[in-house]
Amino acid sequence: MTAFLVRRLGFACITLFAVLTIIFLIVRILPGDPAQVILGDQADAGAVAAMRTRLGLDRPLLVQYADFLSGAIRGDWGVSLVTGRPVIQEVLSVLPWTIELTLYALLIGAAIGIPLGIWAAVNRNLFTDYAIRIASLLGLSFPAFVSGILLLIGFAIQLRWFPVISGQRATWTQWLQSLVLPAVNLGLIMAAYITRVTRSAMLEVLSEDYVRTARAKGVPWQAVVWRHALRNALIPIITIVGLYLGVLIGNSVLTEIVFNRPGLGKLIVGALNQRDYTMLQGMMVIYTLLVVAINLATDVVYGVADPRVKLQ
Amino acid sequence: MIRRTLLAGCMGLALMTGIAGQALAQKTTLTVGLASADTGVLDPHMNSATPGKSFMQQIFNGLVRLKPGEISPEFIEPDLAESWTASPDGKVWTFNLRKGVQCHHNFGEFTAEDAVFSLKRAATRETSTFSSDYAAFESVEAPDKYTVKITLKNAIPSLLGVVMNYHGGQMICKAAVEQMGNEAFRRRPIGTGPFAFAEYVPQQYGKLVANDLYFRGKPNFREITYRLIPSDAARDLAFQAGELDMLYARQDQTAFSRLKATPGVKALAMNPAEMSVIHLNMTMPPLDNIKVRQAIAHALDRDGIQQFRGREVSRQAVSVVPSGYVGTLANAPLLPHNVQKARELLAEAGFPNGITLKTIHTTLPGMMTFMEAVQAQLRRAGITLEITPVEHATFHQQIRQNLSQVVHFQAARFPVADVYLSQFFHSRATVGSPTGVTNFSHCKVADAEIDAARSEPDKAKQIALWHEAQRKIVTEVCAIPVNEQLQLWAIKDSLDLGYEIKGALNLGPAVLETSKFTK
Amino acid sequence: MSLAATARPRSGFARVASATLRAFNTNKTSWVGLALFLIVLIIAILAPWIAPHDPIEQDIFSKLQGPSATHWLGTDYYGRDILSRLMYGARYSLIIGIAATAFAMVAGSVIGMLAGYYGGRFDTITMQVMDILLAFPSLILGLIIVAMLGPSLLNIIIAIALTSIPSFARIARAPTISVKEREFVEAGRSLGYSDARILFVHILPNITAEILVMFSLWTASSIRTEASLAFIGLGLKPPTPTWGGMIREGFENILESYWLAMMPGLAILIVVFALNLLGDGLRDAIDPKLKGEQ
Repeated sequence: MTAFLVRRLGFACITLFAVLTIIFLIVRILPGDPAQVILGDQADAGAVAAMRTRLGLDRPLLVQYADFLSGAIRGDWGVSLVTGRPVIQEVLSVLPWTIELTLYALLIGAAIGIPLGIWAAVNRNLFTDYAIRIASLLGLSFPAFVSGILLLIGFAIQLRWFPVISGQRATWTQWLQSLVLPAVNLGLIMAAYITRVTRSAMLEVLSEDYVRTARAKGVPWQAVVWRHALRNALIPIITIVGLYLGVLIGNSVLTEIVFNRPGLGKLIVGALNQRDYTMLQGMMVIYTLLVVAINLATDVVYGVADPRVKLQ
Repeated sequence: MIRRTLLAGCMGLALMTGIAGQALAQKTTLTVGLASADTGVLDPHMNSATPGKSFMQQIFNGLVRLKPGEISPEFIEPDLAESWTASPDGKVWTFNLRKGVQCHHNFGEFTAEDAVFSLKRAATRETSTFSSDYAAFESVEAPDKYTVKITLKNAIPSLLGVVMNYHGGQMICKAAVEQMGNEAFRRRPIGTGPFAFAEYVPQQYGKLVANDLYFRGKPNFREITYRLIPSDAARDLAFQAGELDMLYARQDQTAFSRLKATPGVKALAMNPAEMSVIHLNMTMPPLDNIKVRQAIAHALDRDGIQQFRGREVSRQAVSVVPSGYVGTLANAPLLPHNVQKARELLAEAGFPNGITLKTIHTTLPGMMTFMEAVQAQLRRAGITLEITPVEHATFHQQIRQNLSQVVHFQAARFPVADVYLSQFFHSRATVGSPTGVTNFSHCKVADAEIDAARSEPDKAKQIALWHEAQRKIVTEVCAIPVNEQLQLWAIKDSLDLGYEIKGALNLGPAVLETSKFTK
Repeated sequence: MSLAATARPRSGFARVASATLRAFNTNKTSWVGLALFLIVLIIAILAPWIAPHDPIEQDIFSKLQGPSATHWLGTDYYGRDILSRLMYGARYSLIIGIAATAFAMVAGSVIGMLAGYYGGRFDTITMQVMDILLAFPSLILGLIIVAMLGPSLLNIIIAIALTSIPSFARIARAPTISVKEREFVEAGRSLGYSDARILFVHILPNITAEILVMFSLWTASSIRTEASLAFIGLGLKPPTPTWGGMIREGFENILESYWLAMMPGLAILIVVFALNLLGDGLRDAIDPKLKGEQ
């Protein structure tokens, strides 16, 4: 187990290093000049050159790279080229928004998806099953920005249940109001996904011998489904949903744009538009860290939860 | 159709209840919607973009200021300076400062020393985008605590224009920069205006609080929040829902008409207008042939573009300097719309089958819609315009690298002809050179006139020189001015800003100490 | 030789063909998916002949009109006919979706097969790279790639393909590992066949079915990613009509004319839904155990 962990950690480190290098290069290949963006369209070429010097962008690429790497190792990702605030501070200021959105979307998704998935599995090939499967496919087919726009028109404009710009969060109700529409938008997509995963995991478990045995012993159907089958189906559900988090974060970019909600996605799109090199680097490193961590955790959880999985 | 009516009905109802609900209590907080995810760097000497300027203008004063709501230099009035004098040759200027003005957040009294520091900072390339505005400055001194003396190497078109509450003329407090350093100052700008900087949350909002020590009196509003909402639709929706009191509207006639027809809303079309100019790079064939350039000018239909953009929100361009600036040639010999003539000229130039031109263009929606309309007009004259859309940052870099045959640039400048002419049509400003600014066409026919006008002390002669420069540039067809788009904002009817809003040089209506809600 | 030949299972194509028939027999929704998709495909192919108007001809005097007899779905901001733009837009959505997925399918399958076949350190490193690519939000990856390369048809195809290569690699790798242990591969190896021959003649046919099924599902996803990129502003050159670009324009006009965003939104929904229905049904037929999983 320890050897396994050490090996996985080693790989994670090598991966991170490679990714850091690629990120550094990509960011510098991008056309566009941060100095020009900062100074605006009235600056002359000389002023832009002076700004490049001030930002340290005129140094040799290798020097910049060494600087970036040593900074990254020390956990210092520099300051945003545009706003002058530390990258880490900017990221931390929006991270709670993204985590909150992702978490509640996951909750909504699980609350809708797991019961629906079970219901469909239990009624396999009956009308309910087909209806749920088609509905969930439809949910998966919705581009996040289209569903977001529809929710916005319906609930914020016509019904006025929620504010259009979800930013005020001084009171408990304001906080709830600012969260509901974006979380529901992402949550519905998540629900469609979880429904399908749950259904297939349940079908698999329900066909196992011990379930049949339990049935044969006269354990009530309800108890078999909820107590025995679901518990065993949960492991694959959690694993696959964990892998899906990356997709969820991607969808959250669109959701954040439509609902004008702060978050990692909007931060990275903004940094991209402004060619904020340091910010882009920091953001990509964080994404990579998240990904590597999730993969590592998934592996470990899977290994611990299911002794049948060999830890190579 | 029925659904449409229903939707409109629902929205109207929603809007009415929204505004009624808001109006019950007289608010002392103001919420403004800006069209950006970021205000940019919070340094008045660096930021030249709309969101940053409209946010920061409340924080700073100039030695002089433009009367609120006006944009022409003839409306200059005292600000931090109570009075000023100029030597007869226009080279020595003396300003007498108001006494007892306090910097925000207890950074002490604003004195001549601060003004000198601020102007010198604005004139330094490392700390200012606008340093070239101060190229003619020989010295800035503080003979005593309340006197500022500026000595120029040569007279310039508008000295007051560079010491007023605009760009580098915005006065910052020396103690603040010295104590915090430039980097920290940019996160917490300190000035003397009616509102002081409170906080800035990326992607969300910037907040200002009342400066109760303001020299013109205690502001009515306690707090102003500038919400950062890049999407036009989301901002518009938020305004309709009553969550914003004032917003940078969608720059479009249809949206403007709807806002105008909405009860309880005042829609504003303000100067300065941003002029859309099609610059033709004369070093790149076939644009080195004047017949081709003339053909393009004939192919463009200014009236059609104005119709497309909207009669209330845009004007037809009159010259290569926007209308209403000091020195604009109101009847420049622009070529009229004539598709037949355009085709003939192309044939004469040796392109009977038409030409294909390439342009690199920003994806910003407002500018792109204009260019697509231009593209369609050129198509009718046999001119194919290939638009390569790139993001705004890439656009700004690549058009300065001579990568685009045709450059669409949309801008407003300080309303004196010299600025537009020097930045866009003087050979010094040619892109690619070390002194390059935004001369994309490589135009150089009017250098002599532009330079002569700069230091011409006789106003009438100066204007005659500017007129001659424009005549030459238009005849050479370095660039084709097409349309001027006004700045569109909307405010709630109940919001009284305290002045008549005709324009806003800082690209957003200024909130004054006297601004308040009337209901 | 004879051993390898007899032990070789039916080819992947035959399996897909029979599975498709089975799918269509047992799963009526597959028919619906196929029919919807074919309708869109035909419209896309015939667009130049059946579109009522020129999709890029502007008419500023009739801009932002609601549905009418001349313009069935109304006009856009430039007075262009929305129905015609939708029809032409189908071409770009399908070209990008199919080309990007095909590219990803080929590249991903080769990578996955090689990783699965050779195993060891090569496998671990390759799959680690794939994992990172896979879990990186594809939209953000696409954004950065398109910003780097510029938004041309080819570049958008490359960007979307890069985001889906890892999925195909994963799909190809697992069956390769299980197949390579089977007797007929062992036999082939003992007969001295080259790796390439074993991979392409013996292993490839066994994983074709799974990969082809994934093709329809990932085409759906590619079409959605293309629309998302265009929505954010990194779409094809104007005046090219693309669905995502139309939604972007429509979103800015949403208060005046909601149908501008609604129509292309529905178009995307229909195509993606059709492909999902189709792929879902096919997968059920090929591997009933996987039924309903994505």
